[in-house]
Amino acid sequence: MRFRTFCYFWSEALRNIRRNVNLISLGTIAASLFILGAFFLIILNLNHLTDNLTSRIEIRVFLKDGVTARDREALKTRIWALGGIKTIDFISKEEGLKRLKEQLGDDEGILTAMDFNPLPDAFSIKVAKPESVKALASRIARLPGVESVNYGHGLVERLFALVKAVWVITLALSVIFISAIIMIIGNTIRLTLIARRREVEIMKLVGATDWFIRWPFLLEGMLVGLTGAIVSAVALYFLYGFAVRRFMSALPFIPVVTGGVALRQLCIGLLAAGATMGAIASVVFLRKYLRA
Amino acid sequence: MIRLHNVSKVYPNGVVALAGVDLRIERGEFVFLVGPSGAGKTTFMNMIIRHVLPTSGQVIVNGKNVVRLKPWEVPYLRRTIGTIFQDFKLLPNKTVYDNVAFALQVIDAPGREIRKKVPAVLDLVGLADRANELPHQLSGGEQQRVSIARAIVNSPTVLLADEPTGNLDFDTSWGIMELLLKINGRGTTIIMATHNKMIVDRMKKRVIEIDKGKIVRDESEGVYGREV
Repeated sequence: MRFRTFCYFWSEALRNIRRNVNLISLGTIAASLFILGAFFLIILNLNHLTDNLTSRIEIRVFLKDGVTARDREALKTRIWALGGIKTIDFISKEEGLKRLKEQLGDDEGILTAMDFNPLPDAFSIKVAKPESVKALASRIARLPGVESVNYGHGLVERLFALVKAVWVITLALSVIFISAIIMIIGNTIRLTLIARRREVEIMKLVGATDWFIRWPFLLEGMLVGLTGAIVSAVALYFLYGFAVRRFMSALPFIPVVTGGVALRQLCIGLLAAGATMGAIASVVFLRKYLRA
Repeated sequence: MIRLHNVSKVYPNGVVALAGVDLRIERGEFVFLVGPSGAGKTTFMNMIIRHVLPTSGQVIVNGKNVVRLKPWEVPYLRRTIGTIFQDFKLLPNKTVYDNVAFALQVIDAPGREIRKKVPAVLDLVGLADRANELPHQLSGGEQQRVSIARAIVNSPTVLLADEPTGNLDFDTSWGIMELLLKINGRGTTIIMATHNKMIVDRMKKRVIEIDKGKIVRDESEGVYGREV
């Protein structure tokens, strides 16, 4: 490609943008990408929260009284055999009592009121995949020598269900917003085509290649998409930083993603998405026209 | 040069534009296409530039079967064919020079070539001193000369002219014909669709008459129509 041709493509694209792109369409593109970005940030935080909670999740297996050390080892082997297990620690009733006392601190007096140890022997199990906790717990509960099984009370399941629901909403919104953005950019391409139909007709007559005709439109679509994306990414970046500071001072015990790499990646992703949608819009809207 | 083998064209709405046309036009010929409106003249021209594909039959231009060209080959075919029209199709916001240069710019021609060819072709059509004017500052005949300059600036082997004198008075039309003759004299094949009886009769060139999609007459040194 000659330098003159390169300059021609850009000057055409910029002239067409000045002529056919207005603040309403740019604003709509920016707002759509902003909302999509916000939903991805919510997912990011929910994942972070889930990771944080699941790393602490364990299955506590209480053993029946009178289980011998040999039965215990056999049980441990059978639990291992179920698979998906990271660690199994044995906690004897004495160890359990000691830990309980530490947890109670000053209130340990209520334990000394009892002259026997009420706690059973137990295994503390950490699993490789938090999603498998529930299934694993119910299988362990059916093993011989097991009195009862305790795990996160369905908290994990509910969190996973929430993440799933937010994903579904985000994907549905993505479909709607992406189509809207492509239609908006496609419409500016259509306006440009109408304004430039004489030039395009002559270009085809004198033998300009399809790509030569396409480039200015492609640049126009990509620039419009990119501009909308830049506005949304800048807004998202600063508003998120502000929201995180407010959130952390109000609810300091809930872990949030404070930005950094993930936020920057999301912003870059938005820019790429904006430019890609613009390119798709121009190619799709030009296709029918160029076939003639 | 240009050959049609049993070419038919039926449009999706059922209109038969051409019906089994066989035709041979040699390099350097000057051919008039005559016949009533809707007879198939424009369809014939559009087929040569592959704007329209035949429903059946073969169209050979410069030894290439136009029907079998791949979409990306079409622009290269069109670079060997110049086209002019009744309505000139000039870009109103570009000067005479830029209108002609545009045809070379959009095929990515080198700047050196553009600066050499455009003044030469403007000189040929007699508009060397009007290069910086806009189309609306020119008369109809002058505008048609600009469009001819644009059509031949890339040295095509064929020039298709669809009613090029349709909007012009006789004297101006005759000036355009003299220019076309000059271009024909340089070896360019010219195919001109027209309703202008006086011009056809005076030029004494090959005349092909099309009616209802069929060639009904093909005469060298012919006239517009049989005497009524």
